[in-house]
Amino acid sequence: MEIAGLVLIAVFFVLLLLNVPISFSIGIASLVAMLVSIDFVPAVTTAAQRMAGGLNSFALLAIPFFVLSGLIMGRGGIARRLIECAMALIGMLPGGLALVNVLSCTLFGSISGSAVAATSAIGSFMIPEMEKKGYDKNFSTAVTVAASTTGMVIPPSNILIIYAIAGGGVSISALFVAGYLPGILVALSLMMVCSLYAKKHGYPVGSAMPAKKIVQKVLAAVPSLLLIVIVMGGIIAGIFTATEAGAIAVLYSLLLSVVIYREVKVKELSAILLKAGEITAIVLLLIAVSSTMSWILAYENIPQSISDFLLTISDNPLVILLIINLTLLAIGAFMDMTPSVLIFTPIFLPVAESLGLSPLHFGIMMVLNLSIGLCSPPVGSVLFVGCSVAKTSIEQVIKPLMPLYAAMFVVLMMVTYIPAISEFLPRFFGLM
Amino acid sequence: MNNLTHWLDKLLSLAVTLLMLAIVVTVSWQVMSRYIFHVPSSGSEELARFLLIWIGMLGGVYAYRTKAHLGLNIVTMKLSAIKQLYALIFSHLAVLAFSISVLVIGGINIVNLTLDPVQTSAALNINIAVVYSIIPISGLLFCSYAIVELLSTIRTLRGNK
Repeated sequence: MEIAGLVLIAVFFVLLLLNVPISFSIGIASLVAMLVSIDFVPAVTTAAQRMAGGLNSFALLAIPFFVLSGLIMGRGGIARRLIECAMALIGMLPGGLALVNVLSCTLFGSISGSAVAATSAIGSFMIPEMEKKGYDKNFSTAVTVAASTTGMVIPPSNILIIYAIAGGGVSISALFVAGYLPGILVALSLMMVCSLYAKKHGYPVGSAMPAKKIVQKVLAAVPSLLLIVIVMGGIIAGIFTATEAGAIAVLYSLLLSVVIYREVKVKELSAILLKAGEITAIVLLLIAVSSTMSWILAYENIPQSISDFLLTISDNPLVILLIINLTLLAIGAFMDMTPSVLIFTPIFLPVAESLGLSPLHFGIMMVLNLSIGLCSPPVGSVLFVGCSVAKTSIEQVIKPLMPLYAAMFVVLMMVTYIPAISEFLPRFFGLM
Repeated sequence: MNNLTHWLDKLLSLAVTLLMLAIVVTVSWQVMSRYIFHVPSSGSEELARFLLIWIGMLGGVYAYRTKAHLGLNIVTMKLSAIKQLYALIFSHLAVLAFSISVLVIGGINIVNLTLDPVQTSAALNINIAVVYSIIPISGLLFCSYAIVELLSTIRTLRGNK
């Protein structure tokens, strides 16, 4: 096993560092590792077979739909309505605008399913707005970037679907429900940091709107928020599967954006379909090659070896979980979330399970962990988008990001060591 | 050559768009037939799964063309312009090697395996070979685009020297 495992890792890193697309890096590394003990023709045939098999799955069908509904919903006025609703609800608190930013990014991230989309849609409005009211631009950017990643664990979430597939049949419905409390905890912890920061710097406190205006602003955001209610309500009540929920989300977002708000024109839809096809295919190709990789991992018994190795460092579950978390934080800083989840779920999930974690708990921990990587250098995609939206530099945003990282890390540790945070809601709804 | 790639680009975008449209219609139909007409259609689920395989492979080629696949450029970014071009050539050669070996050769093998004996899908009686044929087809498309990219990168490299 050692040779194939080392070959897999070495080839993967060389290809990755030479900027070969990650999907091809995984595919080639897996193939070369297979060739250590298998002849060429059976190796390429098995690799192709695993790829086809990896794509032939009902659970995967939800992905193109949530990508599509996210793209349709992410256009035009929905960002504005969510911001105004948040402003009406919490704008008058100390550090109000920063709190509004956190809430809007969280809601938008959840609806659009994309942290990058949340940063550009909410950030392009909120960062200048906060700057106008005297907030530091780099702080505002840091808040937007950190808050945008909370949508990753708050359903509907494609990354949780990807984890469910990589984890070998974890229930998507249960994962979706499990994401709520951890996601809300992250948002609240970020808000806490914002309040303290605003108080320390004496940022202005907004005035409350008249009650009538509050109701009006909240009602205007209801149709957008209703998407979450329909999708999650249906899943929790067991009325439809995640895939069907995705299709309903597409139909609802079409109704809302094309017919009711008229913000998306019918002739724009073909470009949206193509874009959704592209995003979906990037994920699907990664899933296909990861399925080849997990075959060779299992064939060579590699997860078992890594698990044994970790247990030689310590037999204390708390320490091993900390090591896994620190490893994932380092990986998340370099690699995007989808490939990280696909590569490291088959490796770390068996270890976590042997320590008594449920696959549900581990999945939420992993996605929350990798969310931090999305907003950290050197490769955090959300951080890059945030800086370009605000026209500032990563070096300047890092300092105000520090307390926000700390808040996210504290929540990560809570989620890691208190299973109930992830498991209470799914148990309550009878999903686990 | 340029004309041919342009024509291929158009065809590929159209195929991905239509496949996405087809999958939306198929699953929407499935939901409607189940909840409104109360006639569960098992065929639509199967069709949607097959469409997804096609979207994954053809869309994957499209994403390669638009350079949208995820990669890590923090190391190559720091190289000199000439070395970046060499890295780019290496990257396209890697895509070419994987496409020929796994997607084309391995893909043709799995298509052949489903032909002898002939396998058909449970609900719609679709020949599985048709479904899997997209793997060698997309392999050939990856190869074509990799060669197009290689030629243009080599041309740039010659111009830079």
